[in-house]
Parts: sequence; structure tokens; C-alpha cells
Amino acid sequence: MDELVIAGRKFHSRLLVGTGKFASSEVMAEAVEASGTEIVTVALRRVDIENENDDMLAALDRSKYLLLPNTSGARNADEAVRLAKLARAATGINWVKLEVTPDPYYLLPDGVETLKAAEALVADGFVVLPYINADAVLSKKLEDAGTATVMPLASPIGSNRGLKTRATLEIIIEQANVPVVVDAGLGLPSHAADAMEMGADAVLVNTAIATAAEPAGMAEAFKLAVQAGRTAYVCGAAAESRRASASSPLTGFLGDE
Amino acid sequence: MAILRVNGQGREFAAEMFPLTVSDLLGKLRVDAATVVAEVDGQIIERDKFALTKLHDGQSIELVRFVPGG
Repeated sequence: MDELVIAGRKFHSRLLVGTGKFASSEVMAEAVEASGTEIVTVALRRVDIENENDDMLAALDRSKYLLLPNTSGARNADEAVRLAKLARAATGINWVKLEVTPDPYYLLPDGVETLKAAEALVADGFVVLPYINADAVLSKKLEDAGTATVMPLASPIGSNRGLKTRATLEIIIEQANVPVVVDAGLGLPSHAADAMEMGADAVLVNTAIATAAEPAGMAEAFKLAVQAGRTAYVCGAAAESRRASASSPLTGFLGDE
Repeated sequence: MAILRVNGQGREFAAEMFPLTVSDLLGKLRVDAATVVAEVDGQIIERDKFALTKLHDGQSIELVRFVPGG
């Protein structure tokens, strides 16, 4: 598969994997490995001081993956910027998945606050990967502000509903000059393959893998689907037509006079 | 007696424990410093400054770390 390049850094895998909602950190580590991913997302939260075994990410081999911290929990730009700075202090790198989601019911991103935070973070030297609604105008504004990608949602986070925003995703993909990572709502490998066939540069999957009956197996299924979708996109889809077009020769039938 | 607010909760520390650094506090709370980020009164303390940063009565300390997330 051709390489994905984000902010000058090359990746062989076009599947980003979230680490939330797994039954245990061992199951998570196994699924991350099976997915072939090189980028995993993590969140930042207060240390549980009463619990010495609080480090849920201990099972993850951090040398193998780029840890992409998110700003989940931020309800406005200021909170997102604060979380991003804390994350930078923790990772020593300046990549951040920017998310500002004031509404706890649908967890839809606040585009106004996201743009504000993106501008501040880019100015501060961050590589910003913003999670957004499938909004083609906002997408261009973020790109102009200097974000490294745009990450439009397919459907609400964790909903597994697939590509409900298809029409605007197509426009975002058509217009983008930065990688488009379809994030949130992809529930099946076929959704991921569909997004990649449309020309998305990558996808991010968490819930569909983490809550599958066999997460490692599902992670592999997503890996193969992303590879298939990307390869199909690169190879150029054959034309659609309303009429049948025979695949077998229309001459030399038995009984022809 | 000094009170430090750690992750939103007031905790009492005997006066003879001071000067108390961020490193000392983490040791006391049995928190592994390698995976933690600290903020003292809203200012991020880099990990290599944990041992140099002295804490004072009334300060508010946030200790955060990465957790699974999407």
C-alpha cells in the first residue's frame, strides 16, 4: 500500500486505532497489534491516586506506535488547549487530536471552538489533527489555519452507524489538500473500505473493534478492509452503467446459424 | 501542617515534610512519575523539573496521565 504522510511523517498503515472501551489492557494491546496500526489515540485524565494499578496503557509497547493524545472532555477552546499542552508535556511530541465536544449526548464537535483552538495550537507549534463534523467549509478553514489533517465524522462517536455523512465527506475529500481521516461511527470493515474507496486517506476506528466479540479478529478485519479500499481507490474504479454489459463473448453461441 | 489540593482533594502534610517537591509528593502517593504530568497552580511542570519544584501550602496540583481513549 502507498504511504500515508501526515506532517512529513510517513506511515505504512492507513488505519488509526482508538484504545478506549476494551475489556482489558491486554485485549487492547492484542487488538492494536492485530490492526497493524502505527497511530493509536489516548486520552488524558486525572491519576486515580487510590489505585496503584491505574496505568491502563502499561500493556502497550509505546516504542511501536505513535501515541496520539486527544483532547476529549474539552468543552471549549481553552480547555482543549490546556489538555493539548499537558499531553505534549507527557509525550514529548507535539501531535494532538483536537476534539471539542460540549454536547454529551451526541458528542458532536463544536466547529467554532475547534477552529479557535486549532489556530492557537498551530501558532504554538502543534501538529493538529482536528475532529470535526463533516463540514466542507470548516474543513477548508482548518486547513488554511495550518492543521495537519482534517478528521470528519462518519456518524456520531461510538454509534457504529457507518457513512451517514457521505455527501459532504465526498466534497471534503475532493477539496482537501491535507489528509482526510474519517473518524467516528465506522461500525463495520465494509464502512471503512467504503470510506477508503471514496478516497479518504485514512480512517480511525475504536468502538467497532473494542466492543466486538473478538477484538483482535475484528482489528484484523478492519486492517484488511482498509487495505482493500485503498488499493481499489488507487487502481481506479470501473465505470458504472444502467445497462448490462456482457462479460462473456456475444458471438460463437451453440446453435448459431 | 500544610494543605495541598491534589486532583481536587485537600490533603494534609506535616510541616516537617517540607520542603516537599513534586517528586516527593509522587513518591508519597506511590504514583509512578514516569507516566505522569503535573500542573501546579495551572502551570505545567516538565518531568525533569519534578525533583526541583518545591510545593507550598495552599497550592493546587493536578496529576494526569494517559488513559485509553478514542
